[in-house]
Formats: sequence, C-alpha cells, structure tokens
Amino acid sequence: MENRRTVADGIRLGLRAVVYAVLGGAALIVVVTVGSVLGPLLALDLSTPPVAAWWTVFTAITVQGVPFLLLGTVVSAAIGAFVPERVFTRLLPRREVLAVPVAGAAGVVLPGCECASVPVAGSLMRRGVAPAAALAFLLSAPAINPVVLVATSVAFPGQPEMVLGRLAASLATAVVMGWLWARFGREEWLRPPKRSGGHEPGGGPRAFVSGLQHDFLHAGGFLVVGAAAAATFAIVVPRSLLEVFTGSPWLSVLLLALLAVVLCVCSEADAFVAASLSGFSPTARLAFMVVGPMVDLKLIALQTGTFGRAFAVRFSAATWVVAVASSVLVGWWLL
Amino acid sequence: MRRYGPAVLLALVGAAILRVSLFSELYLRYVQEGLRPYLVVSGVVLVLLGVVVAVLVRTDGEDPEHGHAHGPAGPRVAWLLTLPALALLLFPPPALGSYSAEREAAQRAAQGVGSFPALPSGDPVDLTLGEFGSRAVYDSARSLKGRTIRLTGFVTRGDGGTWYVTRLLVSCCAADATTAKAEVRGADAPPVDTWVTVTGTWRPRGALGSSAAWPPVVDVTSVRRVAQPDNPYEKR
Repeated sequence: MENRRTVADGIRLGLRAVVYAVLGGAALIVVVTVGSVLGPLLALDLSTPPVAAWWTVFTAITVQGVPFLLLGTVVSAAIGAFVPERVFTRLLPRREVLAVPVAGAAGVVLPGCECASVPVAGSLMRRGVAPAAALAFLLSAPAINPVVLVATSVAFPGQPEMVLGRLAASLATAVVMGWLWARFGREEWLRPPKRSGGHEPGGGPRAFVSGLQHDFLHAGGFLVVGAAAAATFAIVVPRSLLEVFTGSPWLSVLLLALLAVVLCVCSEADAFVAASLSGFSPTARLAFMVVGPMVDLKLIALQTGTFGRAFAVRFSAATWVVAVASSVLVGWWLL
Repeated sequence: MRRYGPAVLLALVGAAILRVSLFSELYLRYVQEGLRPYLVVSGVVLVLLGVVVAVLVRTDGEDPEHGHAHGPAGPRVAWLLTLPALALLLFPPPALGSYSAEREAAQRAAQGVGSFPALPSGDPVDLTLGEFGSRAVYDSARSLKGRTIRLTGFVTRGDGGTWYVTRLLVSCCAADATTAKAEVRGADAPPVDTWVTVTGTWRPRGALGSSAAWPPVVDVTSVRRVAQPDNPYEKR
C-alpha cells in the first residue's frame, strides 16, 4: 500500500518534470532564437537612433514617475496600516444621495493610485458602506488626491487651470457615477467582495511594510508598462498621423480618452505622460487624465477580480462615457 | 529564493535611481534638475525597504506578502521594473539628439511680439537657443542687433547645405522634448550630433513675428567643438 503510493507519487513527479522540461524548454528556445536574431538588432543597439530614443523616453518616464509613486504608496500604506477603516464609515452620512458626494470628496485623503483604491472600496463595502458611496470613492481617490494634483501641477508648470480642471472633472465623474449606481445599479451585478484581493487586516509596522512593498512593486510594474507603451507611441507613430487627430478637437479627445484606457499609466504619473503629448489640445489632455485613473485595462482586470465581470464591464463602459463628457464640459468651461 | 524576489527588486530599483542621481549627473538626460533631491531620497528609501523586507522574510521564514493572489514572488507585473533598472545600471540610454529634433517640427514658442528685458552687457553674450529664438522672432526692440552672441547645441542638417545648431527644450522629462534651433551661416557643417559652441551675430530676416523670421539665422565667426554639457536640455 505504502509502496504503491510512493510509486504513484514518483510517476506523477516524473510526469510533472517532463511537462515542465518540455514547456520550459520550448519557451527557452523561442526566447533565445528571437533574442539572438532580433535582440542585438532591436533591443540593445543604442547606436540606432530610434532605439536609443525609445530607451531614453522609456527610462525618462519611469525615472520621473518613481519618486511620486513611492510618496503615494508610503502615505497610502501608512493610512492602510494605522487608520482604522471604521473612521471612514462613521464620517459618512446615512442617506445614500448625500453619502455619494461626501465619499467622492473624501477621495482627497487617500493618496494612492488606482491599484490601491479597488481593495479599499471592496473593504468599505464589506463594512456596510453603501455601494454607491464606495464606488464614488473608488473613482475619485486615485484622481483627486494631493499627490496626483501636485504631480499634475509639476507636469504642467504655470497652468493651474489644468489642476483645477482635473479636480473638477474627476470629482464630477465620480459623483455622477455614484448617483447613477444608486438609481440604476443592481445588486446582482455586484458579486459581494469576498475576503480576497485585499491586504491582511490588522495594522502596525509589519502591515505598513507589507502594504508599501506590494503597492510600490505592483504600481511600479504598471508604470513600466505605461512608459513602454508611451515611448513606443512617441517613436513609432509618425507625427503626421498624430496631426490628423490633433487637427480635429473631437477626434483628439476621443483618441486620448481611448489611449488612457490602453496605456494604463498610474494616476500618480499620468500627468507627465499627458504633458508629453504636446500636440494635443488641453481638453484632450484633460480627458486623458480624467479617464486614466478611472478606466483602464489593469483597472478593469482588478475590478473583475474583486467585484465580478458583470460589474466591471458595465461600470467601466459607463464611467468612460461620463468621464469623457465631464472633461469636455470642464475643458470648454475652464481651458 | 523566490521569496526574496520583492526585496531584490526594491533594492535593484533603488540602486538604479541612486546610480543616476547620487553617483552621477546622468539623471539630467531624463529629467529636470529640480527632481534630484526627490530621486536621491526615493533611491535611499527603496534600498532600505528592500533590506527590511529581506530581513522580515529571513527572520520568520514567512513572506511579508499575506494571502494575496500572486504568490510568494510578489505581483508578477513588478518584474518589468527590472527593464528600466538594468538599463540605468548597465547601459544608461543616451540623451535625445538629432533624431528626436528632426522628428519634432521645430516649434516657435507661441507668444506675441513685445519687448524683452535688456540683455546683460558685455560681448559675447551667452544665450540659450530658446531665448535667442524668442528674441529673434518676437522682440520689437530688436535687442539682438549689434550684439555678439554665443550659442551651444548639437548639429542638425537641413535641406541643401544648411545646418543648424539645435537644442531640445524639456519642461518635465525627456518625453516632452521640443526643439529650438538657429541656422548657421559662414562655416562648414561639422558632423551631425557634434556638440558645438558658435559665436557670431544675428542676421534679421522676415517680418517680426512672421513664419518667415523662423528659424533665426546667425552669421558665425567661430565654431568650436565642445563636450556635451551636463544638462543636455534647456528648460522650457
């Protein structure tokens, strides 16, 4: 009996080793082949001007983003570890209609990027906060907190109206989405967030270090994705093609609003990317910064994981439309 | 070993940031001077954080990442951070040069014609290419007239035999670079991307504020090759 189990275990182990070797070997061969054929040519040859320029723009966006990312994650980890969540619940009004704008404005106090706000919104719902209010907070927190606003003012020196526009358009979008959810939202779209995807409850220095390292690495990875996409966009897309869109104010707003979804730049760094898209109208860049922290590919993935797909798809689509509309209105009014 | 992944990553990113900001001036290829203190602090914090995380992992054998979806190695997407970190440590990408300058149609700073503050006395007077361009195209007082000026930038080529001394203007990071340039007359063109300091006088052309006045022209008496300045960009 004992023996047979050992044999079975041995066979299973052997099979697993074979599968790993075959899959790993195949992957390795592909990587080595592609790397040896294209690698020296494409990836590392800094004497080719476009490649060198790609690397420079890519590292520039990353280097610029790191201090802000770190500041944001330090403060958000500190709040996560040292501020009990019941503080948030106690501060909210009981009536949903009033709770939504209050929760939206409360987004100011959580200086995290969007990756941090999804688990926080999930835990707020678990603690009995009305979903509409938690969702307003989810949308506003990454968009209007002080770190993001300071980063925006650094990226657009001498243009305080850009910071104000971002604040107004983002807050408006968050509150409108909260109210829309309160009026039209259905409980069954929202898979009740389980005890997952969040950080370990509890507090203290250990939770601080754990939250900090996780948030920084997670957001940092997405910053790199965004920097690579933005650098590729800057090098590959010919100027003339961009000018087709920069010429038309409506198309350029829609284009940058879509670009924000695809690029997935962290909200603490997206102002710098927006500033680099120098050919576009201020309203289009505003739309980029309003949509980016609220709807992008990584957020849709995070929301699917936390709240379920039925929710993520409907919510993201509606948010995109509301965000574009509010940035056009605010841009028309302020910029 | 995988449990140490996050710690190694944090230390690696911190080391890369410190290598370009504290141990060299390389950060000027990517960002503006004012960011340096923040870069140094971030680098130190990241290295320390990496050490703390490693110690936590080591002391209780438990990874500091509790009950999360992406396992002991931390969020998988985080490994992408090795790309810019290793690039900065092993082969810091060069400053942007003629390739970017030529892709970007040289932009005149949109501003109206008006008067400018007086130039400092003494000849030759050192000007940035941005300032030279603004004064050449928009200065109703023609403050450049009769002055010997000195400009520093890299060489780019135009149609025919024309060449320019060119500089990229950056307001935040290298991703938002725009171009300022001046056409050089009276000297043969050095190879593209050579850094030069040219000394000469402004040659007015076109009506003030019109596109015919752009790019500004300088009649040079001397072209001297120089090393690339620490800060390859001008502040916009």
